[in-house]
Amino acid sequence: MVLVSQLLGSLGRLAVIFVEEVGQTGLLARKTTGQIVRMKSEPVAVQMIRFGIRAIPIVSLVNLFVGMIVAVSMSELLRQLGVLNWTSRIVAVSITRELAPLMTAIVMCGFAGAAIAAEIGTMNVNEEILALEVGAMSPVRLLVMPRLLGVCLMMMCLTLVGMVMGMFGGYIVGTGLLDIGSHNYLEGNNEAVRWSDIPKGLIKAFAFGMIITLVACRQGFKATGGALGVGKSTTSAVVISICLIIFANLCFAVLFNWTLAGP
Amino acid sequence: MSEEQQNIASFFAAKPGGNVPQHADPSHTLYLPPSSTQVVVQTKDLVKRFGDKTVLKGINLTVRRGETLVIMGTSGCGKSTLLRCLLGAHRPEEGAVELFGKELGPLSNKDMDSVRKRFGILFQSGALFSSMTVGENVALPLKEHTDLSQDMIDLMVKVKLELVGLREAEDLLPSQISGGMAKRAGLARAIALDPELLFYDEPTSGLDPIMTGIIDGLIMDLARTMNVTSIVVTHDLKSAFRVADRMVVLNEGRVVAEGMPHEIRGHPDPFVRRFIQGPIDAKTAVHPRG
Repeated sequence: MVLVSQLLGSLGRLAVIFVEEVGQTGLLARKTTGQIVRMKSEPVAVQMIRFGIRAIPIVSLVNLFVGMIVAVSMSELLRQLGVLNWTSRIVAVSITRELAPLMTAIVMCGFAGAAIAAEIGTMNVNEEILALEVGAMSPVRLLVMPRLLGVCLMMMCLTLVGMVMGMFGGYIVGTGLLDIGSHNYLEGNNEAVRWSDIPKGLIKAFAFGMIITLVACRQGFKATGGALGVGKSTTSAVVISICLIIFANLCFAVLFNWTLAGP
Repeated sequence: MSEEQQNIASFFAAKPGGNVPQHADPSHTLYLPPSSTQVVVQTKDLVKRFGDKTVLKGINLTVRRGETLVIMGTSGCGKSTLLRCLLGAHRPEEGAVELFGKELGPLSNKDMDSVRKRFGILFQSGALFSSMTVGENVALPLKEHTDLSQDMIDLMVKVKLELVGLREAEDLLPSQISGGMAKRAGLARAIALDPELLFYDEPTSGLDPIMTGIIDGLIMDLARTMNVTSIVVTHDLKSAFRVADRMVVLNEGRVVAEGMPHEIRGHPDPFVRRFIQGPIDAKTAVHPRG
């Protein structure tokens, strides 16, 4: 009984901390959007190159493999049902609607989120953030805003790349291993992809980019205690981001498939 | 002559000694009493707590224009907390901090920023932005708070770096320069906007005696040539007595002594005497009240 109450107590504390972090991240989002009018384009471009262009190879590779995995995983069931040709449709739908935005976001949690949290955390520990504040220079405008816009814009581009690479992965498996004709595969793929799925995926990508950047910046700003503190903030940034991204994906799935879905 | 050109000219005019600090000679201890009576910094019964621990217990300070006040004390006595309260980075639980006649507590963010543009700070580590070169670090406040053209900012950066003897380091990253150079670069950034008030947080800690003399010389030069009011937080006694017009000694969150350097040297308080002269043996160092 004592053990159960301790366990519940710990879970409660964790929930309170999680909710507080989400609330603080929301406040940071509000502060950041308030600074958008004073934004300069050059720092945003720097962050787009840093977190976008350099992430293309890893995002491409991960989505290629995910497309291949989906094709391989579904093929046996579809073969039993006698509709092996549907592999292309299943890969296309799952990649464009769910997997490309989600996998790209998870990759970017590690690629951009961890880097941002570590960078801002180190700046905080080294009093660089304090130097900005007492110099009447807004850390939110100078540090958060360029990263937020840079990551969000590049998340949309990377998700598009991820969609193409995921479908290409399915194509490789479908035509190379499952003996589906190239023409048949592409025809099924094109029939399954609805143009309305693309903007939905991009909206999700933008939202995931916001989650990644704001959580990372928030965790960086609260880092204390030297290298250990920076390490903790980096870990927290990645863990909280992934949890929030998956929760947000669930919300988007409900929104797009049930609430906004046509009759 | 345009306003920008006048600004540049005033810098060159204010710098009589090239890039060699005029008072870098460690033997220089001349005391020049500040002529102004205008109060720049004032604290009234300042109390700061962290949880149950009261770090500052009713601090009253007054700093006048052109004066160099040194705040001394042992590690953990509240020096850094007091400095952060003066900067507006910590909000005190009781009492008030006034900079340039404005109480910081009720100020809006915008008004607080306008106060902050009037002072500069040299951090203990320099706190240079590691992703920027030394020159970019110095240029940042100018880009953020002035309408100067890029050419004029570049010129101003060169002037400020020349002032601290760091012209050659303009294109280097903070990771490529020594600790003493980082402090001088931090000082160049602190004076980028010609502040009326400069805070120094342990400006000579971790430096060799020659570099300490150079930093001390720069502090004195800035105070005298630019009439900057200075607040120096340090526990480096030699440096403190060299730069101070007036001194304050803190112990356990309270001011235990305040006065001219010669008054502090002869102060009757046992803690101050022990602090100035050093502990007699290891036992008194570990148990100062024993």
